Order: sequence, then structure tokens, then C-alpha cells
Amino acid sequence: MATPLQFRPLLGHHFSSPSPLSRKNTHLFSSSRYATLTHKLVDMAFLCSSGQCCLVVKASAKSGSAGQSQSVKTVRHQPNHGAQTLNPVKKNSTLTTLPKAPPLVETTTTTALSPDLLETVKNVEVISRSEKNAVVPRVSVAGNYTVKGLFRQLVRQLASLPLAIAELFAIAGLSAIGTIIPQGESPEYYFQNYSDGKPVLGFLTWQWVLGLSFDHIYTAPYFLGLLLLLAFSLVACTSSRQLPMVKVARRWSFLKSEKAILQMDVTDTLPCARVEDIGTLLSAQGYEVFARGPSLYAFKGLAGRLAPIGVHAALLLIMAGGTLSAIGGYHGTVMVPQGLDFQLSDALRPMGILSMPADVLNNSVHVDKFYIDYRPTGEVGQFHSDLSIVNLDNQTVFSNSISVNSPLKYKGVTIYQSDWAISAVQVRVDGSEPYNLVMAPLQKGDNKLYGTFLPLGEDGVTKAKGISILARDLQSVVLYDQEGQFVGVRRPGSRKPIQVNNVSIVVDDIIGSTGLELKMDPGVAPVYAGFGGLMLTTVISYLSHSQVWALQEGTSLVVGGKSNRARFEFEKELNEILDCVPEIRTKKQRGDFSSTETATQKQ
Amino acid sequence: MIFIILERILAHTSFFLLFLITLIFWGKTIYTRNEKLDHFGKKGMVIAYSCVTGFLLNRWIYSGHLPLSNLYESSMFLSWSFSLIHIILEVRSPNFWLGTITAPSAMLTHAFATLGIPKEMQQSAVLVPALQSNWLMMHVSMMMLSYATLLLGSLLAIAFLCISFERNTDFPVYYYDTKPSIFSFLRRDLHSSNREKKGSFLQKKFCLLSIDYRRWRLTQQLDHWSYRIIGLGFPLLTIGILSGAVWANEAWGSYWSWDPKETWALITWLIFAIYLHTRMNRGWQGRKSAIVASLGFLIIWICYLGVNSLGRGLHSYGWLI
Repeated sequence: MATPLQFRPLLGHHFSSPSPLSRKNTHLFSSSRYATLTHKLVDMAFLCSSGQCCLVVKASAKSGSAGQSQSVKTVRHQPNHGAQTLNPVKKNSTLTTLPKAPPLVETTTTTALSPDLLETVKNVEVISRSEKNAVVPRVSVAGNYTVKGLFRQLVRQLASLPLAIAELFAIAGLSAIGTIIPQGESPEYYFQNYSDGKPVLGFLTWQWVLGLSFDHIYTAPYFLGLLLLLAFSLVACTSSRQLPMVKVARRWSFLKSEKAILQMDVTDTLPCARVEDIGTLLSAQGYEVFARGPSLYAFKGLAGRLAPIGVHAALLLIMAGGTLSAIGGYHGTVMVPQGLDFQLSDALRPMGILSMPADVLNNSVHVDKFYIDYRPTGEVGQFHSDLSIVNLDNQTVFSNSISVNSPLKYKGVTIYQSDWAISAVQVRVDGSEPYNLVMAPLQKGDNKLYGTFLPLGEDGVTKAKGISILARDLQSVVLYDQEGQFVGVRRPGSRKPIQVNNVSIVVDDIIGSTGLELKMDPGVAPVYAGFGGLMLTTVISYLSHSQVWALQEGTSLVVGGKSNRARFEFEKELNEILDCVPEIRTKKQRGDFSSTETATQKQ
Repeated sequence: MIFIILERILAHTSFFLLFLITLIFWGKTIYTRNEKLDHFGKKGMVIAYSCVTGFLLNRWIYSGHLPLSNLYESSMFLSWSFSLIHIILEVRSPNFWLGTITAPSAMLTHAFATLGIPKEMQQSAVLVPALQSNWLMMHVSMMMLSYATLLLGSLLAIAFLCISFERNTDFPVYYYDTKPSIFSFLRRDLHSSNREKKGSFLQKKFCLLSIDYRRWRLTQQLDHWSYRIIGLGFPLLTIGILSGAVWANEAWGSYWSWDPKETWALITWLIFAIYLHTRMNRGWQGRKSAIVASLGFLIIWICYLGVNSLGRGLHSYGWLI
């Protein structure tokens, strides 16, 4: 995508074909054109914070050749006055302000852009304001014993990296313990499995387990305290380390000496090259390029330095939301037979101190129908419940059908389909009116088994013999006779009678119960926001902040750069860029600029 | 019927190819350059990748849902992820040692899926109601991709530890301060002008023998690439865990219930967060952070396979061995 730039070229000057006339009298930076508003705001911030006059070149074409014609746009700012320090300014410290800087002065023309590199005359005199002149304020040691000093000490201790790593290890270790020791069981379970006679791992008895709260480790005070400490560490690290580092990363300065550039991670010197060629190539690779005279600075991927702050902020948001969920809101579980209803205020219990009662709790929920979709193989397809919400005046205000992955949401209450049971079987015995036999659970869990009993004869309750009816699901029932012998299987609603002990039974229906989970959770919104933020910021944190400096020394160009994360990839990229920089060869004797040859320095 | 035959053909072909490619890549470290085998290795990986892709697509069409619902399908997906990562990294920056790690990983997970899982568990079954959700695609696929990248990064860290194990002197593997100009080693013909201008690299502080230099260079590369690959896998793991939490909230009403699988995924996340933080301290780059990453290798396997054998929790229904 190459969108042409909208900026007007400066006096017809293009990088591709510099002509001698325009070169001599052109004050490339003396124009009074100011940046257009298509410039991004962050670029403006960079230019303003440095207080320097810069030439900004932006290109969206991804071409490697220097023959690309680029339009040029200039920005000039008055330098801002006042001190610029590296460390965050502390209130108690004494701060020396720099004297008011004189405005920028351009004394002579610059000919650093000439193709005839033998006669480079660097006459640009700009009063530079680099950070080397800044005075770093020092906090006096005597201030350590004040409350503010102690607080600052505390913050510094909390922000230390070894502490953070130790906290993360501790949380990981305790969480692992929680997966090995079953959580939330009754004390008898631990008496049996971690008994004194046979301790696990040689020493772990139930006293250890219950005493150290290993049976509910995720809500134990020390675990929650550890999470709180992690939260404090996150806040301390963000405020005392990350934010100042971002300020430092955003400030940059041109490097004036070859030695400074050669100290970078990746350096090279190109014998016959021009600084604006590398500027064009870098901007084609997505760098933001700033050039002034013989110096050049380019960077890319600054978001990779800002994103870790977002990661910490998102984690804090998630923790806050989780806390809100844990101690605020309502939660409950019900098992309701089809056709019955329940009050929301009965079913929902408050979670903790931040639970706020709401008007929606006045309503009741009526289970219109509960049914299960079965596949042809007999397996369960999906569970469905048709629910309607009825208000105090017995009017249905809302109704919906829910299934396992689609809950019902109404005014902050969410109702999930989570379980099911069999409530009763409707039979007709010897042609009577249909009546319900309540079924009792014989086995719960994954393999449910429900049964009921139809007594025969008049021997009284204690000696009653009768017909047993068992059901595993809503598809069929199994009938056993008085002696416990298997008689047959019937599908409800098939209207086929079955003879058991001279009694004719028709099974009309099986009535199920729906197991619903209800929740009112105010913490879901911040938690979801934190989730989204965390996903985004961890992805952006992958970017590496790459910086390149270049300096024109006579005919040769010194280039150096570094990247905070992607060292090898940056090396390779810079390598490829430098391979594409054209080598300028001129006919020195005649100074004939029209016969310059260019050749690329391809290896 | 055609689907089953196709599935079998694709599974066998891809396994055979991956086996050959593993042999080729491992052999590359022993014998010197053989262009034809090199070429076959590269092409073979692409072909194996397409075979496994075809297998997964076939299974998707046949069963009607994304092939990620049981251990067999997720292991094949893991094998596919390994070959995908290999191809992506080959394109970005080719090197000779990447295949020695990705090819056997792909082959071994493939072997585990086809040979190590009983035939009954390999059948494609219909999804239970709790899995009938669109979140299945995002959550499980992100988790498997992140497992593959993190496993690869951890394996590179283990390789780094093995190679740098018997070192006597402590080479500073993390900074280049008195270093030769790296460019002149990368480019085949050196810039003579550079050398004359700044003083030859031989005059710098350490003068390395060529064998040691190559090994040092290799350990540096392993260290750097394990960092970058884990740095890529960590956001994927984050997205996987968080999409699982959102799915749990939509399905069961609670986005975090300290289920063993969830907890071990969190522990994996914490370990790799520790790894990324140890990289910030210059003194810990290199060996110490590689130890953390090696620990991460173990923990991923516990998270993926070990938890299922516990038999408890929300994740145990479809994945039980």
C-alpha cells in the first residue's frame, strides 16, 4: 500500500536528483513551512520533547532503492525552556534549572547533502540541547527516615525483580500443591487418606493438610496475601521502573561522534555513502527517521516498550475484578422439576460483603419444560430448558430457552444449564387416571440411576412387595417384578402396556428436573476488560525497539544500531539495508556533477 | 468410507516423511553438506506439513467439528503446529539447527498420536454438550499452538544448556562489548576498509579459535532464538488461557474454578513469565534463564498429559487416557 504523500516538496528539491543550483542556496531548514496535521500526534510529541529542529522524512513505499523520490516536510520548533531530567523529579530535591536557551540559529548553508562528497562543509551551528547538560537531582540521604523516605524505600523494595520472581515461583508452587491434594473435601476424607499410620510422602498427615489449609489452599489467607503482595509489586514496578524507562526510551539524541556510534551492538562504516540514502531505506522498512545535517536517528517498535505497562495494568484490573467477583454478587444452584418454579431471592445467596441486593431478585423463575435431545446412538445431544421469568404480579416478563453453552441473561442475573435429574414417572395402572410416582436417586454423577416403587397388595408398608421402575435417562424405563426379575423396557408415551405381576402398566411420561446455576457477578465487566487488555498488550510486547544512528564523516557513513529484544533479526535487517545503500562514485577532477555514477554496494 | 481410507493414507505418509526428515536433519549435523539431501529435507517438511493439514481437514469434514476434541486429535494438531512453526521460521531466518529440533518433535507427537493411543480413543466421536461451542475452536487451537511454540523454545534452551555445559571459561553470551564487527562475519567478503580504519578485529580483547567461536555463536543463537520463540508463545498461551476463562464463564458461570488443568496452565504461564523477566537482568541471561525454560518444558508436559491422568476436574471427560 503506497499512498502518495500529501506534502508539497520543498522548492522542488528531491533526493533523487540533487542539482547544484538548488543545493548551494537552499536552506533546507530555513523554510517556514510547518508540519501538516497528517503527522501523527506521537511524532509531534517526539519532536517537541526534544526541542530540536528536525527534518522528518516519511515514506510508505517499501522499496529498497534510493531512487525513490521522496517529498520532504520540515518542522521547526522553538526549543522549550526548563530543565529536562532523566529521573522523575522528586519534590524534596533541589533542582537546578538550566539557563534559558537561546533560540536556534542557522548560520550557514549545509552542504552535507551534496553528492560531491569531497567538499562537504559542515557549517551548521545549532545550539543543541542534549541530555548531557541536564543535571540529575540527587535526593539527600537524610531524607530517608521521614515517612515519605520510608515509603519510597518500600516502593523500591517492592519493585525489585528478584522479589517478583520469588513471588511468582511461590504462587506457582502453592497452586501445584492444590492440584495434588484434593480440594474442598470433608475432613473425614483427609483423615482416611492422609492418616497417621500411612502418611503420604512419609510425613504428610491430615494434621499437615488441615493445619496448613491445604484443603482449601486457593482461599487460604497466605495465598491471598501472596496475590496481594504481587499486586503491590506490580504497582510499584510500574510506577518506579516502567514509567521512567518509557520517558527515557522516548527521548533520544543524535550521536555526534563516530566513537559513540561504534559502541553500538551492530555497527558498520560505509566508505562512500550518503546519510539520506540510508534514511530513505530505513523509512521504507518502517522506521521513523529523523535527520539533521550529517546525523541521523531512526527507531521502530517503540510500542514494544510501552506495552509491558499495559500488561501490568491489565493484570491489576483482572485481580481487582476477581476480588469483586469473590466478595460481591450472588450465586446459587437449584434443581427444579419441570413445571415448578422458584424465587430468585431464595436461590441466590450473597457471596460476601460487597453484595448489593437488586430489584431483580423479587422475580421468580418458572420452568416451563425440560427436555434432552438424544442422538440416534442414544448419547446425549443437548440439554434444553424453557424458562420464563415471572414478576410479583404473576406476569411473564421474559422467557427464553437455555442449553448448556447458552445461558439466560436478565438484568444482571445469568442462569446456566448445568445439571439434570429425573423427578417423577407418570403411569397409568390398570386403566386408572395418570399419576406421578416420584423417583429417587440411586446413583448420581455421570451415570445417573433413578428408581421408584409401585407397591402391590395390602400387606402394609413394611411387608409391601411391588414393582420397581428404574430409569437412567429420559428415553426409557425398565420394569422389574415383585421378585426382582427383569420384565421389560418401555418408552414413555408409547402407550404400550406392560404386564407385570398381573398388573397392566402404561408409562405416559418421565418428568425431568433441570439443574440450574444462577449468578449475579459485578466483577465480570472489569475482568473481561482486563482479559482483552492482557491479550492485546502481551502480543504488542513481542515487538522489539530498534534504534539506528548514522553519521556522515566526510565521504564515509558510520552506522550503528541496537535492538532491545530481537538482536539477531535486527542484525540481519540492518545488514540487508546496508547492502542496499548506493555507493557514490564521482569523477573528482572535473567536479562534474552531471556525470555521477551510482552503483549499489551489493555483495 | 473414502474419508477413513484417506485419513489412513495421510497419516501413514506424513509419519513416514517426518521420520525420513528427522533422519536427514540429524544426519546434517554429522556429515558435511549434501545439497540434495538438504533440499529434500526442506521440501519434505513442506510436504509433511501439507499431509498433516490434509489429515486434519479430512477429519474436520468427516466429523463436522474442528478436530480438537480428544487426545488423538489434539496430538495430531500439536504435530501439525510443530511443522508449521518450522516452515515459518525457515522462511524468516534459515539456519541449520532448527530442523534437528522441530522435525523429531513433530514426528514424536505424531507417533504418540497414532501409535501410543488405543484405537478406540482415536475414533472421532460426537461432541458432548459442554463442548458444543464456538469457543472450542479458539481456546483449544490457541493452547495447542502455544504448547508447540513454548515446547520448541524450551527445547532450544535445553540444547543451549547441553552445548554450553562443559565450558570452562564463562563466555559472556549476552553482550558484545569487545567484539569483532559482527557484520564482517556475516558477510562472506570482508570490508577491508573497515578493518583498516578501526583496527583489525584481531587486535580486540579476545581472539577466538574458529571452533570455539562457532560454538559460542551457536549458543548465542540458541539463546536468542529460544527467547524470541518463547516470547512469541507467551502471548499465544495468554490468549488461550483467557479465552478458556471466557468460555468457562459462558458455559458454567465461573471464569476460574481452580480446576487442575486450569491451574497447571496458570503455572505454565507463571514459569514463562518468570523466564521473560529473568531475561531483563543482564546477569541472568544465558544459563540461568535457560534453566527456567527447561523447567518450563517439564511443566508443559504435566499440563498437557499429566493432569488428564488425575481423572478429576472439568477437563477429564474427553481426554482421559
